[in-house]
Amino acid sequence: MSSSIGSECTDLKQKYDTCFNKWYSEKFLKGDTTPECEDLFKDYKACVMVALKEKQIDTLLADARKESPFPPPSSSSNSEA
Amino acid sequence: MVKFFQHTFAYDHPWENVSYAFWLRYPNPFASHVLCADVIDRSINDDGVLTTTRLVLKQGKLPKWFPQQFIKTSEAYVIEESLVDPKTMRMVTRTRNLNHVRIMQVEETQTITPHPVNPDMTTVKTEARIISKFGWGMAQRIEMFGESNFSKNAVKAREGMKHILQMIREKRLRERMGFMQPQTA
Repeated sequence: MSSSIGSECTDLKQKYDTCFNKWYSEKFLKGDTTPECEDLFKDYKACVMVALKEKQIDTLLADARKESPFPPPSSSSNSEA
Repeated sequence: MVKFFQHTFAYDHPWENVSYAFWLRYPNPFASHVLCADVIDRSINDDGVLTTTRLVLKQGKLPKWFPQQFIKTSEAYVIEESLVDPKTMRMVTRTRNLNHVRIMQVEETQTITPHPVNPDMTTVKTEARIISKFGWGMAQRIEMFGESNFSKNAVKAREGMKHILQMIREKRLRERMGFMQPQTA
């Protein structure tokens, strides 16, 4: 499992990744799309956000995300969350 | 000038495994330049489509002829946005670098779908756009470097995916073998 950009977040990331990978392969791909692992993600994400701010890439990332990633290539046009 | 790149490749593995391998692909022995990867956002919409944004940090590579004083760091931040629709068996990923964009911006879209003829195989269509806005008459040279580097990296990326896919196949096989073993009380 790859490490996190914030070394202090790697442990939280690996816990979340383990949960997600299991859910993705055993439930999501088999049609059960009820989300799981959300509490683990909340903790992990909070840690990453602090690390991004410290490295001063939070604004760079926020600007990049303003652009909608999937306008024409997605066939299901109303699938954007 | 912009360079375009298009390529289609088929993996000898079912769609589920290729889509799963996409999340597991770092680290692998062919991706030592990937320093870390983080999930920034993830959600499922009402149609059951999973949307993910990841941030990947890579160790970049510059040609020897490039004037080093223009570069503060050779590390490149890459944003990776993706959609997975398990019902239609379609995964679309788009990656692009966030820094060094004036020197070179690489935008890559991959569409991962079951092979149209053989359902045990998966087709990955890659489309990329490489553009340099760098001055000093170097933009074209940079784009050519970017293009050849992109092709080399695409080969390495496939080797990495195959490595992970083999691990998934072996794990599935072991699980099945485990079930078949006679129960001893």
